[in-house]
Amino acid sequence: MATNAIDQTRRMLSLVTYLRERPGAHVQDVARAFGITEDELISDLDVLPMCGTSFRGGDLLDIDTDGDRIWWHNPDDVAEPLRLAADEATALLVAARAVATLPGLRESDRQALVRATAKLETAAGEVGAASSRLSVTFESEGGVFAEVDRAISERRRLWLRYYSPARDELTEREVDPIRLFAVGHTYMEGWCRFSEARRTFRLDRVAEIRLLDAPSAPPALELRDLSEGLVHPAAEDPEVVIEVGPGGRWVAEYYPHDSAEELPDGGMRITLRTPDPASLRRLALRLGGEGRITAPRDLAESARSAAREALAAYDGTL
Amino acid sequence: MAIAKAERLMNLALCLLGTRRPLSKRELRGSIEAYLEAGTDESFNRMFERDKEDLRELGLVIETVENLDGDTGYLARRDSNRLPPITLDAEEAAALGLAAKVWQQARLAGAASGALQKLRAAGMPEAEDAYEVHSALEPRIPVHEAAFEPLMLACRDRRPVTFDYRKANAARPEQRQVEPWTLECWRGHWYLAGWDRGRGAERVFRLSRISGRVRSRAGAFTAPVPDVVTVRETVESWAGETATRTARIRLRTGAGYPLRSRAISVRELGDGWDELEIPYGHGLDAWLVEFGPDVVVSEPADLRADVMDRLRAVAKD
Repeated sequence: MATNAIDQTRRMLSLVTYLRERPGAHVQDVARAFGITEDELISDLDVLPMCGTSFRGGDLLDIDTDGDRIWWHNPDDVAEPLRLAADEATALLVAARAVATLPGLRESDRQALVRATAKLETAAGEVGAASSRLSVTFESEGGVFAEVDRAISERRRLWLRYYSPARDELTEREVDPIRLFAVGHTYMEGWCRFSEARRTFRLDRVAEIRLLDAPSAPPALELRDLSEGLVHPAAEDPEVVIEVGPGGRWVAEYYPHDSAEELPDGGMRITLRTPDPASLRRLALRLGGEGRITAPRDLAESARSAAREALAAYDGTL
Repeated sequence: MAIAKAERLMNLALCLLGTRRPLSKRELRGSIEAYLEAGTDESFNRMFERDKEDLRELGLVIETVENLDGDTGYLARRDSNRLPPITLDAEEAAALGLAAKVWQQARLAGAASGALQKLRAAGMPEAEDAYEVHSALEPRIPVHEAAFEPLMLACRDRRPVTFDYRKANAARPEQRQVEPWTLECWRGHWYLAGWDRGRGAERVFRLSRISGRVRSRAGAFTAPVPDVVTVRETVESWAGETATRTARIRLRTGAGYPLRSRAISVRELGDGWDELEIPYGHGLDAWLVEFGPDVVVSEPADLRADVMDRLRAVAKD
């Protein structure tokens, strides 16, 4: 893994402090404490013996490892715990405050976080002030969240009435929950017992939820890497082309897409793939005069006929 | 082979922290191998200035002291660089561990783990088992916008910026000069609030609508920074969540669950249709059109006309 020099320097400064207090520390334990791989730790340990207050004076750090334990033979009082940098204080304080507002966070965890935040603010001192210039709010779907959280910890199956915007309908499902996560909205990933497939449910679309007595037994799955985004269309999914004017550019912000080409009028041509193009009829209707779907043709046609049918209902009514 | 930057930075940090008296640039150059290999004075000076800045970003307080000979000396005093005592129990440590994982932005993710490592070095205990102690929740803060990092730094350092911004329905971006106050993430999108110099007023910007580079400008803020900046309220009103009136619509039985869950009242009409009263804020017309023939607006007349206009635009395509 590529390590950036800033992060590595920061880590090595903490590492010397840590190692001074723990002669003969195990590589495995230190790597875990620092949240890094053993290889990353070993590469830090390769650099440290080249560092010191002067390479000429022979006062380089005499740190070595046999691959299992780490020894520092000339520990030095230069290794005191260092104050937090502004970015460090900000990153941790903003995240801690955001997580503390999460609905459904266990009360004991929330209290621990609030206590830790207060201590951190004190320890950070004035560099913590900039953290008020950044804030994050997670969505609140508290009641549903608490039920899912409980189902996961008690390993029980869930019954849901779930809203699908693509079909504008509520469906009932039984789901073996796997995990909860929050990326803007809060989601549950689970194994849907009706479709026998992995599904992601947005909690604000859960209309009703019940814990069942049946045990949850999702098949062993590799968890998806959420950093790549939630939507992963397959290569064989049909392609949809949407042309929008300047007023429809938001489509590119909300819909993951393969390409977004600028058009001369300030609009865009957006190409995306979806397993279910019919689900985009809502979008075609919503766009009104600000854009239209150019492919596939039957999707464009279904939006047109829906609009005509809707207009017909206004004739003769007040 | 050139000496790696991390090794050079580490040596400079140790020299500055280890000394009791200010060290001149010459002394530092003589003590650090990478600086001896730097070649010309000019390339050494450039390297040294950059390294000093990097260490300051890492939180090191480096003092510049003029000595009797007029030479500039540098040192990082122990007492101004020491972390004040902080005692965290295992539960608090676990909670911070969860919080540190939420950033999906490289700079802040690196800073958050750096903070944890400093706390760990200062004696913060380790959780028994990181996966059992906390909630099942995995909160993540997405940061997809390229403008985020420069704006975050500008907010932190209170530096004015300029950027090209395209309003929601504008064909072309326009350059804006802004004194950035705060950044806020709501529903997974980032917004900036600040003083728009060109417009002489407070404005909220959506980061995804910033195109090109964010440039920081010299000079200080000219407008006072308010104590409380209300990004949320502005964004909520864009999202139509601050309704001022109510609308009456007919909705086909069984359809439109989100409209029902927000309705003030629902009455069955018995002919396959229900009548709903719903809050009427910005953007309701576009939302109602999504339901196509399953929604008919009864009143008010302006909403009804807006919905019909939108339907006509789709019908004639």
